[in-house]
Amino acid sequence: MTGTGAREQDRLEALHRLGVVDTPPEDRFDRVVRLARQLFGVPTALVSLVDRDVVVHKAMSGFDERVVRREDSFCHTAVQSDGMLVVEDASADPRFAANPFVAQPDGLRFYAGQPLVAPGGFRVGTLCIADHRPREFPPESAALLRDLAAWVEKELVIDSELERAAQVQAGLLPRTPPDVPGYQVAGACLPSRAVGGDFYDWAATEDGVVLSLVDVMGKGAAAGIMAASVRAVLRGSAHGAEVAQSLLYAGAILHGDLSGAGVFATAFHAALDAATGEVTYADAGHGLTVVLRADGTDERLPATGLPLGVLDEEAREQRTVRLGPGDLLVAFSDGALDVVDGSTAAVPVVVDAVRGARSADAAVEAVLRLAVDLRDRPDDLTVVALRRDG
Amino acid sequence: MELETDQVGHAGVVRVRGRLTMAAAGELKAAVDREVAAGRTLVVIDLAGTTFLDSSGLGALVGGLRSARAAGGDLRIAGVGPQVRTVLELTTMDRVLRPYASVEDAAGDGR
Repeated sequence: MTGTGAREQDRLEALHRLGVVDTPPEDRFDRVVRLARQLFGVPTALVSLVDRDVVVHKAMSGFDERVVRREDSFCHTAVQSDGMLVVEDASADPRFAANPFVAQPDGLRFYAGQPLVAPGGFRVGTLCIADHRPREFPPESAALLRDLAAWVEKELVIDSELERAAQVQAGLLPRTPPDVPGYQVAGACLPSRAVGGDFYDWAATEDGVVLSLVDVMGKGAAAGIMAASVRAVLRGSAHGAEVAQSLLYAGAILHGDLSGAGVFATAFHAALDAATGEVTYADAGHGLTVVLRADGTDERLPATGLPLGVLDEEAREQRTVRLGPGDLLVAFSDGALDVVDGSTAAVPVVVDAVRGARSADAAVEAVLRLAVDLRDRPDDLTVVALRRDG
Repeated sequence: MELETDQVGHAGVVRVRGRLTMAAAGELKAAVDREVAAGRTLVVIDLAGTTFLDSSGLGALVGGLRSARAAGGDLRIAGVGPQVRTVLELTTMDRVLRPYASVEDAAGDGR
């Protein structure tokens, strides 16, 4: 650091943008310090983050103070320059001989700290090792510590990018249910990774509400990018058009992008006429929507056409189903099928789980509860429910 | 997943054993592209040994279909088991990937 105030302010912002200062310990950092301790045969290894007034130990092995005063920390000195700080015997080094960690009984003697550089070139912390005996630190050990530090730097960045992407994606989901008198609407989306290819959307209309649930093939960031495109196009084409027509428009616009990327998307797109209870829907290869009647019967609504991105279609079909008082419509993504074996044998299990749900929220929660029992959820899971008051 | 390639008449045949999922989708797509590049634009995917198909696996079949059709040929599937059939029907993809009873049927000229 140059030591100027503005530069230090930028450095602190770069540190906090990583989103790791105020978060709990994480195994991906703990793993590195455990390994460093073993590799170098030292009693202490730390991932430190140099904040405004304190140094926070994000990961520690052989040390138990999570936060120390910045001016006492060797890591504070280490982040002042680009190179590694190596102190072979602190008691013999005038810069550190009076340091409280050195002056205490059985105090610190050896320290080696490699600065961790965040995007923008800011030194935000260190990967460091320490010993209460003086040590020599040959060049091959220094090279190894630098390699481990590069690993930590990579972990710091991956997380911050994905986490921000996840926040943006979560922000694309509807925040509040639409106000449709006589009906309830609820939805939830659980990506299996930080971001995913599923989403749901809704918009109140003059007559009721338009609902969509979309599942872009694949998972992770690649599917998430495509999901954001599909959402925007589907929103744009939904205005005032019949559902089959808007799905057709959206498909025509998206076809090149989806087929070019070698993926397709399934979609359930529906409009409710609140006065009559009629739900008009067009389903692009999704096929995972069920209607549970107040009288205890249920039916699955089959897909009415191909997924988006398969063929550039010339027409799409729509159908209508009527919701009576107490009837419930639930659309879900194929992540819910993982509760059995990933096959449609899971559909009756989902139906049983939501049967008797007294509200749209309860129906969504019932599906999510099924998935909670899955230790390793392999696919994104999204649910939308529409219930007519009984 | 294991892939095996073969020829029946003029058709290139790709046999898929095991689970056809995201992990295997790229490999299948590459195998289809190799057949098409070798001039065998009628490609038959034998799914008799395929125990599980997910959306990414289906994506690989669609991608292969697109390559084959772009070269003036076709991609056909045969030996479809119950799980694969369910996925095809659920997504209505059986309209574009109509299952043939056998590899020989699929490799024939008759439709």
